[in-house]
Amino acid sequence: MIRMNKLSKVYRTHMIETHALRGIEIDVQPGEFVAVTGPSGSGKTTFLNIAGLLEEHTGGDYFLDGVNVTGLNDNQRSRLRNEKLGFIFQGFNLIPDLNLFDNVDVPLRYRGFNAAERRRRIEEALAQVGLSARIKHYPSELSGGQQQRVAIARALAGSPKVLLADEPTGNLDTQMARGVMELLEEINARGTTILMVTHDPELAARAARNVHIVDGLVTDFVRREAPSLVAVA
Amino acid sequence: MEVRPILSTLFRNKTAPLLIAAQVALTLAIVANSLYIIRERLASAARPTGLDEPNIGWINLSPVGEVADPKTMQEVDLNTLRAIPGVRSATWANMIPLSQSGWNSGGMSLKEGDNDSGINSAHYFSPGSLVDTFGLNLIAGRDFTADDVFDHDPEQGSALPKTVIISKALAEALLPNEADLGQLVGQQLFNATEAPVTIIGIVDRLQTPWSNEGADGEQSYILPIRYLVGSFQYAIRTEPGQLDRVMKEAADQLSTLRSDRVLNSQRTFAEIRASRYANETLMAGLLIAVTLFLLLITASGIVGLSSLWVNQRRKQIGVRRALGARRIDVIRYFLVENMLITSGGVLLGLLLTLALNQVLVRQMEVPRLPAEYVGFGMVIMWLLGVASVLGPALRAARVPPAVATRTV
Repeated sequence: MIRMNKLSKVYRTHMIETHALRGIEIDVQPGEFVAVTGPSGSGKTTFLNIAGLLEEHTGGDYFLDGVNVTGLNDNQRSRLRNEKLGFIFQGFNLIPDLNLFDNVDVPLRYRGFNAAERRRRIEEALAQVGLSARIKHYPSELSGGQQQRVAIARALAGSPKVLLADEPTGNLDTQMARGVMELLEEINARGTTILMVTHDPELAARAARNVHIVDGLVTDFVRREAPSLVAVA
Repeated sequence: MEVRPILSTLFRNKTAPLLIAAQVALTLAIVANSLYIIRERLASAARPTGLDEPNIGWINLSPVGEVADPKTMQEVDLNTLRAIPGVRSATWANMIPLSQSGWNSGGMSLKEGDNDSGINSAHYFSPGSLVDTFGLNLIAGRDFTADDVFDHDPEQGSALPKTVIISKALAEALLPNEADLGQLVGQQLFNATEAPVTIIGIVDRLQTPWSNEGADGEQSYILPIRYLVGSFQYAIRTEPGQLDRVMKEAADQLSTLRSDRVLNSQRTFAEIRASRYANETLMAGLLIAVTLFLLLITASGIVGLSSLWVNQRRKQIGVRRALGARRIDVIRYFLVENMLITSGGVLLGLLLTLALNQVLVRQMEVPRLPAEYVGFGMVIMWLLGVASVLGPALRAARVPPAVATRTV
């Protein structure tokens, strides 16, 4: 589903070159739940941004659902993002002036679905996260956990191949975090591939596979295997 | 189109959009009415006088003391002027269009004793041919001949002429709703105080010295009179392109011809026109300046609000981009949002425009605003809105989608 070959990212200013990612090799299979961990500044957000087509890589190749995204223009990347990816952000990133219906509607409008199709998907997605009754509410009227559920509904409504979650429980208390995590596990169980960046070792431990990033290098290991870290890049 | 969600967002943040809409409304009301007033004033100032304007000059001299031989002086002066190379025609005249002072008569009528007709006319007279010297277009009848001209000394009450040439506007006032104005040639014209005169010709147009609005600004007649007073004012018509040189030579020669008079003024007709319409031109210029200033203020308001919103919504724009919005989608969002605000302002402005016009019609006797000016004003406001928001919208489109994952 996600395959990166010798993928690198270099940030250049006129004075300095910063190597954020250094030749990453990774292959995420359909339906996998992968946790990406690493210390602050290790490059995991850059990794997520590149995986989510929010930034372009500077070296290597990246295949998303079989499509080589290297060299795609901005419109093609936007289209691919919209069709194949769903995003869940740490700060929820809902639009405060839109009610839940309209928030979930945002990516669907860019997809070009007709009104009836969008309504069906929105109602289904909000039902899936248990917020059907709040469809006309605004984000400020919801708790943090509920807002993150709306963000998940927004991500799910377009039937993405991959869910990218950036610290999805980072702004939630333990109980709410548990609820969100259980929801993600349910979604994964239904076959959606999930790539989750987290600081929390407990959450990472619940993923089937961990990718550890340190200094732009990936240490990839499958949980339940011997804990020997083998650098692959 | 995301009209409903954008409207929903605007309703939740009403104050700034309402202020911008109100500004648009006020600007539309002022711009539409100003444009109309400007056009009216400039159109009025551009009305043709009927004269061959580019080639006409006017010279005025005042005697120092009593002039014993005004007739001789006029003849010598005119012979001198006509001898200047480039002069096509020259004659003495009591006044010239647009000069803002002159003679007029009331009670013009085709019937004797009909003093209440109310037709006022500018009263031109000259011993020569004003048709030739002013370059008027004779559309019926004939010009004066030397036999038509009467010497008139106001102090001696000598005889008055028996023929007259009238303007088409005066002819239309005398014979309203009559297509064949030529039938007036040969008829007698009466006024309250003078003996009747026979109409011998009609000129297409001869504006009055006051150039008032409407048809009475062109109601004029010409009498063939040699006016024997010590006032010397000459109209000169030159060959094309010769006017400036001829006027200078004419002034020099008339000044050196006699020492018992002084040159008051020498002006081309373009200078007379500029002087007559100086206030109108100034007013139009001020209105244009105010209109442009208002448009600038409104555009600044829209640019300011849009820029503020782009900065405030930077994260939101990044999220939209992350969720699949293309750059063009972001630009379209801001354009649609602005169009909604501007359209609200335009609708409100439509009412304000009509209300302001009502006030102007009542208070300043401005004509009722034609619909096309309202439409033109609306288009200007919409274009202004689009042009103003385009910069901020393009800036918004450059917000990278990676902003969505940034925590600060």
